[in-house]
Amino acid sequence: MAQGDPLDLTIIEAAAQLEGRRLSPVELTEAMLQRIAKVDKQIRAYITVCDAQAREVARAAERMIQAGYCLGPLHGIPVALKDNIYTRGVRTTAGSKILSDFVPSEDATVAARLKRAGAIIVGKTNMHEFAWGGTTDNPHHGTCRNPWNPERFPAGSSGGSGAAVAARTCLGALGTDTGGSIRLPSSVNGIVGIRPTIGRVSNYNVVPLAWTMDTVSPMTRTVEDCVVMFEVIAGYDPFDEHSAQVPVADYRGELGRPVHGLRVGLIRDYSLTHVQKAVGDAVRAALKTLEGLGARIEEIAMPSIHGNISAQLTIESCEPSAYHQQWLRTRAADYGEDVRTLLELGEMYLATHYIQAQRYRSLLRKEFLEGFKRVDVFVTPTLPFTATPCGATEVVIEGNRKEDMLSAIMQFTGVPSLAGLPALSLPVGFDPDGLPVGMQVIGRPFDEGTLFRVGHAYQQVTDWHTRSPRL
Amino acid sequence: MKSDDPVTKETVERLCAQADLPLGPERRTRLVPMLAGLIAAANELSRKMAAAAHQSILPILRFPER
Repeated sequence: MAQGDPLDLTIIEAAAQLEGRRLSPVELTEAMLQRIAKVDKQIRAYITVCDAQAREVARAAERMIQAGYCLGPLHGIPVALKDNIYTRGVRTTAGSKILSDFVPSEDATVAARLKRAGAIIVGKTNMHEFAWGGTTDNPHHGTCRNPWNPERFPAGSSGGSGAAVAARTCLGALGTDTGGSIRLPSSVNGIVGIRPTIGRVSNYNVVPLAWTMDTVSPMTRTVEDCVVMFEVIAGYDPFDEHSAQVPVADYRGELGRPVHGLRVGLIRDYSLTHVQKAVGDAVRAALKTLEGLGARIEEIAMPSIHGNISAQLTIESCEPSAYHQQWLRTRAADYGEDVRTLLELGEMYLATHYIQAQRYRSLLRKEFLEGFKRVDVFVTPTLPFTATPCGATEVVIEGNRKEDMLSAIMQFTGVPSLAGLPALSLPVGFDPDGLPVGMQVIGRPFDEGTLFRVGHAYQQVTDWHTRSPRL
Repeated sequence: MKSDDPVTKETVERLCAQADLPLGPERRTRLVPMLAGLIAAANELSRKMAAAAHQSILPILRFPER
């Protein structure tokens, strides 16, 4: 007999019930598919729902458990994948019209690894077209909406994955993150998401946005769940030329370690500057909580931090325009207007702009590595604002000044993306309108374990991650 | 292009020709203000990175495994 509503279970809780045969994969998958049928007309988190395939895999998972075989904590767990991740036999649109009929003949490495671990893929999630944007206002597959308030955006580009997890239509999802596309939707949907160190998780058979910055990773309700998914997908992949031959740590082992004595860095005139009041208040309160757990806060100057938005815009403009060069000349009308415009603009930079932006990344990384001699992690808000209305192209952060959404959204998440560092976003509160606030924790290269440790310790003494949107 | 030159319709036309990107006049006009903002910011970053203090810095296209 299942304990509690299956929709409210975390991956860890569901795995315990599945292994103990108090819940079956069929029952759990059915609950998720029914939830999708109920709420997804409103939220549009999915582009494709794999209901028949999910039911079939769930039955196979159930037979294995009945026969005494369990593949691990993801066995029988319903998950969703962003629709730029190849799935064999299931169309993979990348949120576009151009790839609307593309059915891959093989899986992405991350999809294959999840399947081997027994996960059940319930669907492919909505996204900003070709991941080039942060709103998931998709002209081809519908506007994705925020489960906390469907009038607000879910951010992006992995907005569908964020909304799907928050709306309890899957227990975890994969997103992709180039300049913030996992962390931004994690923040505004009140869930956990990690951008890994570049090279830590394979990008093989994932439709690219910007080759030198792209990553894939999980989005979940708790840090512990994030670790369970991350452990399955992390590690060297010979098919990905950028994959790193670095051993995968025992991340679950890290979770038990205290944060007492941990050194937390704030970047002077940056970490808590130019943010909405509710965002600043929530992050300051979270820092107090970490101090209460024995962490020490230290302010560090990082003279080159400003310039990051231009560098990110330059690289994220030029690389996608190279990838899309042929389609822009043969199928321009098949792009949404915003993405088409960005792709056109990306062809108009000089080579020196691009190279100076790549040199800036070295400079920024050097300053971070210097900073990591004094602190173990850096903290910023994930976003300087909470979820804006769907369709907004401008945002007010301070005073009455309207700012361009694309630049404003990159304020904090672009920095670790440029420096190739891992960064975790986790929920740390709500604004007066009931919209979630996220905090970003940035770590040393390949030190995702410390980020998980900080996030898990925080979630042991707070309950933001246990709250659900009313849908 | 000088960094303080405004981006004009002619600038966009020239860049389109260089890129062999055929865009109609309406689209070219639409790109002008956006490109002006992006190029101004990119030029500012370029000036910073071209400074003597940063001359030894290499571009990073692939991250080291450490």
